Amino acid sequence: MSMISRLATVIRAGLRSNFGLATLKHRLFKEKKDRWLVPLIGLAALGVLPTLYGIVLLIKAAYLLLQPMGQERALLTLGLLAGQLLILLFGIYYIISAFYFSRDLEMLIPLPLRPSEVMISKFAVIMINEYLTVAAIVLPVVITFGVMARGGVGFWVNTALVYAALPIIPLAVVSVLVVAMMRFINVSRKKDILILVGSIVLITASLFLQVGLGRSRGPQANPEAIAAFFTSPDSLLNQVGSKFPPSVWATKAVAGGFSGEGLANLALLLGVSLAFFAGIVVMSEKLFYRGLVGLGETTGKKRRLTRDEMSRRVSSGRRAGAAVFGREWKIMNRTPIFLLNGVLVVVIVPVIAVLMGTMGSGRGGGGGGSDLTAILKTLTSSNQLYVILGAALFMTICGSLNGTSSSTFSREGAQFWISRVIPVAPREQTAAKFLHSYMIATLGVVTASAVAAIILHLKAVHLAAAAGLALVAGVLLTAVGMIIDLARPLLDWTNPQKAIKQNLNVLLAMLADVGILTAAFFGVRALIRAKLAANVVLGALFVGLAALAVLSYRILLKFADKRYPEIET
Amino acid sequence: MPVIELTNVSKSYNRGKVKAVDGLTLTVKPGEIFGFLGPNGAGKTTTIKMLVGLLRPDAGRIVVEGFDVAKDPLKAKQVTTYVPDYPAVYERLTGLEYLNFIGDVYGVPKAERLERIGKWLEIFELAPVVTNPIQSYSHGMKQKIVLTAALLPGPRVMVLDEPLVGLDPRAAHQLKEMFREHCDQGKTLFFSTHIMEVAEKLCDRIGIIHKGRLVACGTMEELRALDKTEQSLEGIFLELTEK
Repeated sequence: MSMISRLATVIRAGLRSNFGLATLKHRLFKEKKDRWLVPLIGLAALGVLPTLYGIVLLIKAAYLLLQPMGQERALLTLGLLAGQLLILLFGIYYIISAFYFSRDLEMLIPLPLRPSEVMISKFAVIMINEYLTVAAIVLPVVITFGVMARGGVGFWVNTALVYAALPIIPLAVVSVLVVAMMRFINVSRKKDILILVGSIVLITASLFLQVGLGRSRGPQANPEAIAAFFTSPDSLLNQVGSKFPPSVWATKAVAGGFSGEGLANLALLLGVSLAFFAGIVVMSEKLFYRGLVGLGETTGKKRRLTRDEMSRRVSSGRRAGAAVFGREWKIMNRTPIFLLNGVLVVVIVPVIAVLMGTMGSGRGGGGGGSDLTAILKTLTSSNQLYVILGAALFMTICGSLNGTSSSTFSREGAQFWISRVIPVAPREQTAAKFLHSYMIATLGVVTASAVAAIILHLKAVHLAAAAGLALVAGVLLTAVGMIIDLARPLLDWTNPQKAIKQNLNVLLAMLADVGILTAAFFGVRALIRAKLAANVVLGALFVGLAALAVLSYRILLKFADKRYPEIET
Repeated sequence: MPVIELTNVSKSYNRGKVKAVDGLTLTVKPGEIFGFLGPNGAGKTTTIKMLVGLLRPDAGRIVVEGFDVAKDPLKAKQVTTYVPDYPAVYERLTGLEYLNFIGDVYGVPKAERLERIGKWLEIFELAPVVTNPIQSYSHGMKQKIVLTAALLPGPRVMVLDEPLVGLDPRAAHQLKEMFREHCDQGKTLFFSTHIMEVAEKLCDRIGIIHKGRLVACGTMEELRALDKTEQSLEGIFLELTEK
């Protein structure tokens, strides 16, 4: 078998197992299960259309604003740069878990394959994941730009090539860091800490980059600089892209089409990408497997407990629900991917909001109307009802729009058999799981409340009202997320990432949440238009949400009793 | 009264295209070690999973200690513990945390927990690692912690799927001793195995399943009577499952 066909086989196997294509095909066409998913996904896609339309309108408006100043290309750079940042951020999870912690490595390593072939197959899977991840950010920007600027064949061909090359450089950078770190630092035994620290470092780094970009976006407050800024076309582009030159090359390649500038930049981007790729192939031959040695083994110290210690540590009997809650708590907090996407995200999102807010106010305006704090403050000073509703929405988003509740059952994975055989009623187990998810949502609401108090200086009474609404909405959204996951839990995974980050249920639940919040928005708007007093509007919203919360919780418990026996493991 | 009673139990996959278990009827008496044999794909694991409530039969009735598994699942589960063929356990918990979890959900009093945990951890040589995460255990150690957890509630009925796979000779020996001890107390054990020697020496009665149907069931003597030319269980097994 030639190297190319061998490589193609490994890549094909990797893609099939990663995206579960074989399983999906089997389920849809052989077992004829899950067919209802097809129209549902279609419906979900239709549901995204209005949001997408809104984004396109926004991009169009920005284009029209920037075009008279000759700065419209900055829009492309921003889109591409945001895409590459996202690739970098997701790349760290994908690369560490795919290169080092995925279980198929145990199967691949003994095969007669070169280390670089194994690594390339993993890299290809990550690339496809990245294309899907960044599509939502990059494609609307590039396509809207292309339509507005009436891009010719050159524009679209180059766009396709640039999009194909986009993940290579950021992924190669992450790969080099990860592979080198695994080789030279003895972190193999502390892989959990590695994933956590790595992720937090990258999140912080990307934030600093954003702050840096934010600062570079606005012109300095002196007339000469302003004049120079506007007289040089693409100056904004260069400022934005100076932090990461490949984004500038990508922009010029896309915008330039088949012109000399376009082709030169395309060649530069593709050439550098290829060089980076070649670099990691060479490096993987030398370093990849060495970092793997001993990785599968986690050791613990051997120590026998004394009789007293054993007596202390053997529980004297908790209620079954408390035991299930304790298990959920421990497993969530001890699995880095779950911890990051559950507990940490509800803390990090509000903190990012603070940083963005304070960043905006520190810039002294002139940033094209993106001064978040100023907008929020204007809003908050105008109408107290809007203050409370806005803060409640912010708290709800921070607390509930994450994958905790919608991956509750999926996270059990292959261990779900234990939940099925223990003599604890499904509704009791589900109630304990609900409590766990809801506690995390509450943590998000509390953090968001603190943030709202710091940035917007909300009055205590307004904060309390907003938090009350968010906590009630949290019950509803948590129950809805759990119902969606329970309907079709994703239990067949070996990499925990699949249970929470690549779980369709998380996406479906987010869409459902957006739908519920939109319905609430229209409900409130109708009440406001009916000229009802602020207290009445808030009271009606609270009662409405509370009724739905109680109803959804009851449905969840009832559904658990029905669904648990049906889930065959 | 039988402890385990399967009546006309059937289960198929792929919308009826693959019949895994076909009209299975068998009973297991109190204090009996029942060995369940069959070639790969014969329906052993499917039967065991239906017995412990992991799969729902398409037809038929399963009763454990007088409780219908479909109608009264919690009561049936309260008296049964199960050891799967692959030890998928909570890797992020320590061995002791897992045992505590099982003790809590089965409502095992503290004194009994301490006694049983201490005994089985010593027998299975897990005592020095019980505070380590299960993630750090070898396959055999995971198997042993699942067995310890299954023994912890002191169940009336134990259902085990290939329990000897992955165990070292010493642990396998101790497990067989435990089987006998368990059943001498009037409790019941239902297990599947591929090891003919174990089934022959250990089981009070043996059932052989082939293509989803029970082709033979009885004591070793009764099985020998089925085919006078064959004296070993292996020979009988090969004869019955030839086609």
